[in-house]
Amino acid sequence: MSIVLERVTKTFDRKVAVERLSLEVRAGEVFAFLGPNGAGKTTTIKLMVGLLLPDEGSVFICGHRMGTDGRAAKAHLGYVPDQPFLYDKLTGREFLEFVANMYGLPRDEAWGRLTRFAERLRLEETLDRLTEGYSHGMKQKVALAAALLHEPRVLIVDEPMVGLDPWAARTVRELFRARANAGGTVFLSTHTLDVAEALADRIAIIHRGRIVAQGTLEELRRLRTEQQRLEDIFLTLTEEEAAVDDGRGRS
Amino acid sequence: MSGGATLAPTPAAPGLRLLLGARLRCLRNVADQTLRTAPLRAALIALFLLAIWTTLFALFDRVFLFLHMFREQSVVVIPYVFHIFFVAMTVLLAFSTAILAYSGLFVRPEPAWLLPSPVGPRSIVAAVFLEAMFFSSWALLLLGLPMMAALGRVEQLPWHFYLTFLGAFAAFIPIPGACGLLAAWAGAMWIPRSARRVYLLATAMALVGALAWWGRLWSHTGRDAEHWLTRFLSELAYLRSALLPSTWVTNAISRSLHARPAEAAFYLFVTAAHAAFLAWLAVGIVARWVQPAFGRAQSAPGRPLRGGGALTRWLTEALFRYLPAPQRCLILKDLRMFVRDPLQWSQLAILFGLLGLYLFYLPTVQPTAFSRPLQALVCFLNYGAVALILSTFTSRFVFPLISLEGRQMWLLGLWPLARRHVLWAKFDFALSVAAAAALVVTGLSIRALELPWMLSLVQVAATLSTCVGLVGLAIGLGARFPTYGEPSGARIAGGLGGTINLIVSMALVLTSLALMGAICFRSAYVLGSLERLDALNGALYLVQMVLGFGAGAGAMRIGVRHFSRAEF
Repeated sequence: MSIVLERVTKTFDRKVAVERLSLEVRAGEVFAFLGPNGAGKTTTIKLMVGLLLPDEGSVFICGHRMGTDGRAAKAHLGYVPDQPFLYDKLTGREFLEFVANMYGLPRDEAWGRLTRFAERLRLEETLDRLTEGYSHGMKQKVALAAALLHEPRVLIVDEPMVGLDPWAARTVRELFRARANAGGTVFLSTHTLDVAEALADRIAIIHRGRIVAQGTLEELRRLRTEQQRLEDIFLTLTEEEAAVDDGRGRS
Repeated sequence: MSGGATLAPTPAAPGLRLLLGARLRCLRNVADQTLRTAPLRAALIALFLLAIWTTLFALFDRVFLFLHMFREQSVVVIPYVFHIFFVAMTVLLAFSTAILAYSGLFVRPEPAWLLPSPVGPRSIVAAVFLEAMFFSSWALLLLGLPMMAALGRVEQLPWHFYLTFLGAFAAFIPIPGACGLLAAWAGAMWIPRSARRVYLLATAMALVGALAWWGRLWSHTGRDAEHWLTRFLSELAYLRSALLPSTWVTNAISRSLHARPAEAAFYLFVTAAHAAFLAWLAVGIVARWVQPAFGRAQSAPGRPLRGGGALTRWLTEALFRYLPAPQRCLILKDLRMFVRDPLQWSQLAILFGLLGLYLFYLPTVQPTAFSRPLQALVCFLNYGAVALILSTFTSRFVFPLISLEGRQMWLLGLWPLARRHVLWAKFDFALSVAAAAALVVTGLSIRALELPWMLSLVQVAATLSTCVGLVGLAIGLGARFPTYGEPSGARIAGGLGGTINLIVSMALVLTSLALMGAICFRSAYVLGSLERLDALNGALYLVQMVLGFGAGAGAMRIGVRHFSRAEF
């Protein structure tokens, strides 16, 4: 297993953000993580990358426990946050070189990968400008290239398609699939249900800090036989769960 | 990328060197960009720095020359100057390093990106620590280097004095820096975000309390100057405690001053050893627990505001009742943003607070009543201090107000309100805040100096006209040279428009100061009375009024014309 979450709970100021959440993501699969706003998606991702520490439970990346063996776990990770971070006063190329050095890539290998990503994502013309002038989509592309540069075994991306034009979105989908085909794991948190439907091998839906359903698209469809579209399944499941929670609250 | 990509675990990369390398590259790019796109700004910055350093050097030179005349007293007084300087620097450096380190570790997006990477937390914390110390020690360099050069020149000291002095600076900086780093980490770890403002306020109050207590030292105990000095020095004895880092640095410098290099080296070593140990300890502690602190700083949810902003609503209704409702809405929004952004109000409060404290204690410093020339001189200096603080505030916080609305123009643009009203509402709001603070301090100045009514009137009117001029310039030029895409107020203020506004504002302040200086000088020395104005003084006074109000009105006119036609 590439990613394992064992009964993870995280509470903020008496508000439970994630509650006894368990999840296993295999090597070689694209996993989509869905949920309404405030459901706990970003908290789960922050727990997975070690930005937050769980109050209870454990997180493992490629067999390394985040927290006690965090450094080894992080060597296998590539992460793109929902707001992509780039140093404003570096050019795109300088930023990617910085990332390559951070992961200890040999110079020639780093240069080759950088050139291939620049071509694939059509970054060549802008790569030598300061990143402060980039559009959101351009920043997202550079951040994705940076996360993929060291060919991580686990790639975690929060909202990967925001700001991308249709052409770039398709290229990114192909990159994710290629990574999974090479034996890597791609974990996507997204609101774009079409992307999840088209790309994900398995899907989990989180609501109010708990997983309310997970499985392949077919398995989710079997849960709700009258519905075929992921959007309908998502809306029904999260609505039902909200009704159950409200009922519990009243009783 | 490719189907045949390898999946071998990657080795850990070198941390601190890599992070510092990226920062140096960023600095180099900034320098290149500034020289290429804004050479005028770069030249102005260099010019202002040179002017400030030269002025400080001249000032310290005069002070040390004066002290040099009293050989016996200077032996006692010069170390006190250094004791006080380094104690003040300890507090300032710790405070500014704490703010910068907090921002670098828990607010900026960089740590959220770096912490999941294989760069170790120790390298991340060390890089932020070094960066925070670099930026916070500017004040020490700005004040310290001219002081060193002046002292070296007056006392005709050998070359190794300069080496010791620089070494003492370098060795001293990490000590308050380490305290600041630990304070920043402790703040993230244990102060909940919702209560942070309360703690900030409590700290500010404690600082004001400490300053007030210090001000007590300046109160005279009798009319005997020698007795006052003896008491003053004995009250400061605690500053010479052997346990204070400021004492070690002072001892290193004063031993070097008296040609005792071995003792100077000993104190330098004591300072450097403590600095190295404290820096190592602070970086180690913070790195060990940076992740839980980061989690707490990031995740504490904001609580609902008590009262739902009723006070700001009441204030807006009370102060701006004369404006139509839509403009009051805009002012209410600006007032709430001002009140909820400690960076804005704390700067104004600290600068005017310190000035107010000085003015509050001013009457007690001078045992006898002020002489007429001294009254006029201090009145002029107080006006200058107020005008300079006002220009700092308007350049940094008022100028970006229009640019910052660029992202909200989808909302403001649809308002059934002429665009010029948006500008005038901003003007009214900024003028109210600036004038309220400036006039309170001016009132204290008049009280402290017991100024006659005529000069009081001149000072109040001059302050008001300068307020109108500076606020009008900031709003008008802010609309004329906007940077709508930029979300950072600091960057907007540092852009081309901000530089133009700064230059014009400084020109207004300097001209107003010259006019005020002429009025005060003529009143004290030519007329021999502060209670009346002759024709020339009246004309100067009129020119000053016209200049302030005219500059404000002219800039607003330019701004309104441009803003009304702007496309977003």
